[in-house]
Amino acid sequence: MKIVLADDSRVMRQIVIRTLRQAGYTGHEILEAENGREAVDLVHREGPDLVLSDWNMPEMNGIDALATLRGAGYDVPFGFITSEGSDGMRQRATLAGAAFLIAKPFTPESFQEALAGLLDG
Amino acid sequence: MTSTPFLATREDLELLIGEVWASHVDDIDGLQPAPPHAWLSAAGDRGEPCWSGAVSVTGNWRAMIAVDLADPSARALARGMLGLDESEEIDRGDLGDAVGELANIVGGNVKSLMPGPNDLSLPLVANTLLEGAAGLHPHVILDLAWRDAPVRVRVLALRDSSPRPDSPTEATP
Repeated sequence: MKIVLADDSRVMRQIVIRTLRQAGYTGHEILEAENGREAVDLVHREGPDLVLSDWNMPEMNGIDALATLRGAGYDVPFGFITSEGSDGMRQRATLAGAAFLIAKPFTPESFQEALAGLLDG
Repeated sequence: MTSTPFLATREDLELLIGEVWASHVDDIDGLQPAPPHAWLSAAGDRGEPCWSGAVSVTGNWRAMIAVDLADPSARALARGMLGLDESEEIDRGDLGDAVGELANIVGGNVKSLMPGPNDLSLPLVANTLLEGAAGLHPHVILDLAWRDAPVRVRVLALRDSSPRPDSPTEATP
């Protein structure tokens, strides 16, 4: 499967990739984006099976990227990986059409819980 | 506007920073409580080099959350987050990225504990000590040690409604 991974931190993208592997999700193609705008462009070009996105990013944030994708008719599963896991943020994510929100810091178990049914192991 | 009570406790911060280390730093040496360190604001002959990462919270609650690391700690942090061996060199970009992401994680979690609405800034990183804008006062200072080098978490917030701070600023040498 093809996954778009959007985070302005290269270090965090590497941590997410490592955690996916530790959670048992191997063999997937990861397409990296540094902001929401790049993520939207990658969805247009590559037609991924899943988008994993930070919330707070320069250029275009994650919630605006999700709104842009849904507005353009893309129903690709979209999940947030963000440092803010309050009830309010989770509610905003759900209302915008996100499948889940994983709060940083996270564990392989939190990935397994969120990705069950969305991503092949 | 009246001051907003700080709802995150010192124990919350200790738990949070411990979880970050356990989950993302890939390290068996945990953080330990430590006496306050004499942080200096400039590198070179005026003091030891250090790194600061900070995020600002604006809205109902005005604050800055910062993490300070001695240079060897910042390099070890970046290696740990990237899963690199101790012998591998870290470039300055990855070093700043790691410190900024640490500030983002700690700051985002602290913001989540406070009544909103609030906005979180992108992280600001400097190879010197970042100080809070005028009007911000220490609410919680967490002094820690990692591998015998100092690490500090600071939560600075408004004591009352004015003045309104903007972004963190680099300390003047």
